[in-house]
Amino acid sequence: MNTAKNLAKENIWNNNPVFVQILGICSTLAVTNNLTNTFIMTVSVTFVTAFSNLSVSILKNYIPRKVRMIMQTLIIAFFVIIVDIMLRAYLPDISKSLGPYVGLIITNCIIMGRAEAFAQSNPPLISFWDGITSGVGYMWVLMIIAFFRELLGFGTLFGLKILSSEFTPWTIMVMAPSAFFILGILIWIVKTNMMRQDEKKEIPAKQTN
Amino acid sequence: MKKDSLIYTVTFSFIITFIFVFILAVAYEGTAERVKKHQKISEAKAYLSASGIKLNPDEDPQVKFSEIFGGDFKDKEVLTAKINNENIFLSRISGKGLWGTISGVIAVNSSIDKIIGIEITSHSETPGLGGRIEESWFLNQFRDEKVPANISIIMGTGRGDTVSDNGLVDGITGATRTSESVENIINKKLLQLRNLKRRGEI
Repeated sequence: MNTAKNLAKENIWNNNPVFVQILGICSTLAVTNNLTNTFIMTVSVTFVTAFSNLSVSILKNYIPRKVRMIMQTLIIAFFVIIVDIMLRAYLPDISKSLGPYVGLIITNCIIMGRAEAFAQSNPPLISFWDGITSGVGYMWVLMIIAFFRELLGFGTLFGLKILSSEFTPWTIMVMAPSAFFILGILIWIVKTNMMRQDEKKEIPAKQTN
Repeated sequence: MKKDSLIYTVTFSFIITFIFVFILAVAYEGTAERVKKHQKISEAKAYLSASGIKLNPDEDPQVKFSEIFGGDFKDKEVLTAKINNENIFLSRISGKGLWGTISGVIAVNSSIDKIIGIEITSHSETPGLGGRIEESWFLNQFRDEKVPANISIIMGTGRGDTVSDNGLVDGITGATRTSESVENIINKKLLQLRNLKRRGEI
């Protein structure tokens, strides 16, 4: 139980895939200009990471080392196509607006990274949990970016008008560069906070010496 | 059998691939009907929007489509309809874009010198650049655009061209090739329609 809790803390905060490991940046820039798309995208990534981790972990003892990577890619691609088919069938509007990005989940480094770094050497259930928490770590960062981009770029949140019509939308927020700025600022704030916490931990430790 | 042997590797890869692909095929087949239904609805919407017909949110696009164009989708090259006492022609357009095929619908008046509207149904252009051909600011430029000869996509002010009697519309910044493709696709279709009309086939 304790390891599960620690793992969640690692993936969501201390070793967050986006702002600590700087993975999955491509989709961070591409899909975050509206909250609905970002939400569906990040849920899909979480789903794919969790289930590919689970499958890789179950199969790990049977996969020959030589074809390990290819098998991981196959499993990831399988779950991504499942997501694509489901979106096409049940959420056609979102599928249309996400367009090619759903297929590009296959190339999201977080998924392959977790499969190779965690699922390959851990039992199935905890790997599944690792996938979910990594996905959540990715999700909350993207949702924050999308919140600012949609609010300032369109004046809406989840498509609902929030700011009055007198507000001039910031066109830059709709385009990819703004995600760089917001991500940069976010990393700055979070890292400063982390460092401050580390310092606090270190000082009492030194005093006891 | 040794895990690193060639036979094991090949057999294992084959079986795993077979299982996963089999499940995918089942999922695909299982949802094919639903996907097709959505496609039909979005196609009906494209035809209606190209003809300049506004749908109320509670109206079924397919019902409205059969009311105006009669019956179901036909494989006819050109559809005709009477809207606001004006005969119009509708035809599918499709052609090569930068990355893949751009498909859509065009509506023109009966003398084929005015575009009623165009609509893009599918494309695989770069998202955010060429992909913007499906945005309304771009498509609205074609609404009631007079085209005595050809349509030309040019560099504009960046706000979209609002003059509708010169056959000029603004292209998309950073997507010159895609803009050119759209221009070619439309001009080819106009030429084809004019030829058909001259021969009295429509």
